[in-house]
Amino acid sequence: MKKTEDVQQDIVKETFQLVSKRDDNVCNFLEGGSLIGGSDYKLIYRHYATLYFVFCVDSSESELGILDLIQVFVETLDKCFENVCELDLIFHVDKVHYILNELVMGGLVLETNMSEIITRIEEQNKLEKQEAGIAAAPARAMSAVKNINISQQIKDIKLPDLPNVIKDFKF
Amino acid sequence: MMPAVRGDGMRGLAVFISDIRNCKSKEAEIKRINKELANIRSKFKGDKTLDGYQKKKYVCKLLFIFLLGHDIDFGHMEAVNLLSSNKYTEKQIGYLFISVLVDSTSDLMKLIIQSIKNDLSSRNPVHVNLALQCIANIGSKEMADSFGNEIPKLLVSGDTMDTVKQSAALCLLRLFRTQPDVIPSGEWTSRIIHLLNDQHMGVVTAACSLIDALVKRNPDEYKGCISLAVSRLSRIVTASYTDLQDYTYYFVPAPWLSVKLLRLLQNYPPPDDPGVKGRLNECLETILNKAQEPPKSKKVQHSNAKNSVLFEAISLIIHSDSEPNLLVRACNQLGSFLSHRETNLRYLALESMCLLATSELSHEAVKKHQETVINALKTERDVSVRQRAVDLLYAMCDKTNAEEIVQEMLHYLETADYSIREEMVLKVAILAEKYAADYTWYVDVILNLIRIAGDYVSEEVWYRVIQIVVNREDVQGYAAKTVFEALQAPACHENMVKVGGYILGEFGNLIAGDARSTPIIQFRLLHSKFHLCSPMTRALLLSTYVKFINLFSEIKGDIQEVLKADTNIRSADAELQQRASEYLNLSRMVSQDVLATVLEEMPPFPERESSILAKLKKNPWRQGDTEHKESKMPPAIMNHTNDIKGGVAADDILDFKASAPIPDRQGDQNILHDVFSSISNGPQAAHLPSTSHVDNLNKFVCKNNGVLFENDIIQIGIKAEFRQNLGRLGIFYGNKTTMPLQGFSTQISCSGSLALKLMVQAKPVDPVIEAGAQIQQLVNVESIDDFKEHPGLVVTFMYSAVQQRLDLKLPVTLNKFFEPTEMNSESFFSRWKILSTPSQESQHIFKATKPMDPEATANKLTGFGMQLLPNIDPNPDNFVCAGIIHSRNQQVGCLLRLEPNKQAQMYRLTIRASKDTVAGSLLELLYPEF
Repeated sequence: MKKTEDVQQDIVKETFQLVSKRDDNVCNFLEGGSLIGGSDYKLIYRHYATLYFVFCVDSSESELGILDLIQVFVETLDKCFENVCELDLIFHVDKVHYILNELVMGGLVLETNMSEIITRIEEQNKLEKQEAGIAAAPARAMSAVKNINISQQIKDIKLPDLPNVIKDFKF
Repeated sequence: MMPAVRGDGMRGLAVFISDIRNCKSKEAEIKRINKELANIRSKFKGDKTLDGYQKKKYVCKLLFIFLLGHDIDFGHMEAVNLLSSNKYTEKQIGYLFISVLVDSTSDLMKLIIQSIKNDLSSRNPVHVNLALQCIANIGSKEMADSFGNEIPKLLVSGDTMDTVKQSAALCLLRLFRTQPDVIPSGEWTSRIIHLLNDQHMGVVTAACSLIDALVKRNPDEYKGCISLAVSRLSRIVTASYTDLQDYTYYFVPAPWLSVKLLRLLQNYPPPDDPGVKGRLNECLETILNKAQEPPKSKKVQHSNAKNSVLFEAISLIIHSDSEPNLLVRACNQLGSFLSHRETNLRYLALESMCLLATSELSHEAVKKHQETVINALKTERDVSVRQRAVDLLYAMCDKTNAEEIVQEMLHYLETADYSIREEMVLKVAILAEKYAADYTWYVDVILNLIRIAGDYVSEEVWYRVIQIVVNREDVQGYAAKTVFEALQAPACHENMVKVGGYILGEFGNLIAGDARSTPIIQFRLLHSKFHLCSPMTRALLLSTYVKFINLFSEIKGDIQEVLKADTNIRSADAELQQRASEYLNLSRMVSQDVLATVLEEMPPFPERESSILAKLKKNPWRQGDTEHKESKMPPAIMNHTNDIKGGVAADDILDFKASAPIPDRQGDQNILHDVFSSISNGPQAAHLPSTSHVDNLNKFVCKNNGVLFENDIIQIGIKAEFRQNLGRLGIFYGNKTTMPLQGFSTQISCSGSLALKLMVQAKPVDPVIEAGAQIQQLVNVESIDDFKEHPGLVVTFMYSAVQQRLDLKLPVTLNKFFEPTEMNSESFFSRWKILSTPSQESQHIFKATKPMDPEATANKLTGFGMQLLPNIDPNPDNFVCAGIIHSRNQQVGCLLRLEPNKQAQMYRLTIRASKDTVAGSLLELLYPEF
């Protein structure tokens, strides 16, 4: 069952509250909040600078395995975006999802091998370029817009990728 | 700065996102979003046909807006149109939008399924994969119905590309979770198992997840996977890391697949085939050996990957529980992790060791680490880790270390996080009971628990200590002395007063000889707490006082003064008032002999499983278990507040004579007098085995099965089912005596106006119930219109040549014909507003008569028959429900809102119903439940 938009947002808020108050040197696993079913589910997260990557898993996954999966996800993002930063994730929500879709499908771990994932993403990029044709021009303009925004980087970081990470891990 | 991935930027999208990020306030953001939504809406509605690029851009904007937390109620059709585009990027965004936003019940689903069908048969594997992803992400029953045939074929066909196979495996697993019969059996089984031999590691990993789920459903059918999994594992474990190239992760060969294989094997006992078994043990040993080798990299990824395999291997060793050598090695390995500097490893080690502690072969080995674990409890900075330490201490506890572990846990409890206190209290209570060599120690522990964490000591815990004290003569004097001392504290927890009151009421005489605890001192000590206590505790104390009258006749006068006080005998609380007046009359009217009989010491409780253990085991949201919990509560203790002797509830004093027609509850002192005289010398009462009975009519409001009436001759039980406006009751009459009940007959009737509102048809019953036998009577009911009264049940029979007659009521109430109704917040509140005339609403504000436990409340409301609707009321403490009452003439929609106020121990209950008077009838039924 898909959770309603309100519930999804509440889950994001609750998860953020649970995770963000934790010190860096505590462990990376905790029992899920009440909205996602409490102790039947674990939150497994990694903290990179200003970003948290949180996966919610049931008992069928290995905790350390998921920690590594998050690392693979982040390393893949880093390769695909060349030095990934929050802005990439915000401006390219769609792309982030496509990459995530190569790792996780219907809440299940699909592929863990980074080079395999990158090959697939590159394949998609090639298709995209072929199809883009004249639409490539606006892309250059966009790049300029993006540069203008760099001073805003710190302000009000929103994490639009989180709801879906959590939603994808459903059960 | 242009990211490498993006050849085809959508400028409008980037500008829009920048705008949002530049908004200075939430209001500005909402304004900007609304402007954009209006713009997109007009574009979609406009006459000009949009090209694929534009559609893609707008759909992507909508997706972004949705992810920011705003509702999107249009654009779905445009997204569906994108699915049939022949451009990959357009298809892709269409599928993404649908996976994230479209509900599985959407009416667009037919169109979506058609598009998925087309893509699934595409020759382009990337299109097939998009379709598979979408099926898995939606994962609905409809998807399973539509594609359940296609996907298994894709999975095992020789022509399918590896990437597609991989997705097909997980897609099938996702559908299997929704609809287990989607997996074909027979010849497919072996083809699926053999995916474990596939050359592509990604395919094997995905297949392994699928097979794991299939094995859980049908282990025998998939037994063949054991040897394949072992040999696959063996090839990985013994491979040098260069062999597996890309699937080697930070020098560890295929860690994810290894974990999956080790998990798969945990579904089975150790392999029968000695060859396979030997090979598996070899793998496990190799994994344990590798843990000792120096790390090949300093990166945390290396150690994570290596240890994920190690922990899974240890889980398998524990699961098999057959190789003492491996178990001890596993235990040592975990022991070394207990003091590792990585918190994650300490956490996992504590967790795994908990399992190890339950194995007989390794229990002793685990105990060696007791000190380290206790230390973790004291020094860990992370509550998750401390909680695992508590779990492990609980698991490793036995007779030899119980005192120390309980002591440490009590000590930790003083500073423990609030979130884990209740569970800790239960655990301490269980350990203390289970391993008590000396019950004085047990009493000390429980009283300490109440002292340290009184708020977290649930009823089960203090009921249990009373049960044990009542049943064990050797500890009664000690318990009386200890509670007496504990009550001396100027501020003691109400639970302490309850336990103290009960124990002194029963055993205060054992310490009355001591000049420091004479009867009057005991009484004054208890009474000094009285005014600070809740009505429930006060009621319990009144029972204690009346017991004191029996134990210590010298303070009868002081106690009568208290009973006579306006605050009691004229208390606003009906229960207190009733007790005060009944106890007062009891003390005035009857002889010392009668008093001694009535107020005699409680008989021992029947031995049963500890109710607190049941509580710890129970899953809070499983409804069936709550009933279980109720039945586990020692009933006599629950009623102690009303208990005078045996199972006689105080408000049943008036009905002492079971053989007589049940007197009206409003009966007055005369009846009371009468009744007592019949006990003391009535010949009729003398030949009845006992004089007590239980009438449970009100307990059926929120449940359908149980004992309706019981005395020492007969037990009458009910099992009922209701659907729509129809109901079917099975009434079970059990003869508890050693003689047959002759001339047995029953009469079920609806009197007065009820006859027009409720149809009742009963099957005839046999005229004799043999000794110890039970007969059943079936009754069909149909609700014609809303009603208030209960149908009557008159039971007559001869016992010992005396005519017996029971006047009872059948537990058929209006709420039984509820159909629970789901609705969202919006429709709830709009319907709530519509039902706003005064006659449609009924409201009552009242004091809680039972502990205010949200879980119990939720269960009651569900038992009442309405749909509990969580997350609708802005205040999470409130409960809202909806339901429809069916009758032949009409359907009545009902909405309910219950607002608990914990501080004031009050509730406000509001019911609105589409038919006048129904709300009032429901309210009358429901509020006494809380």
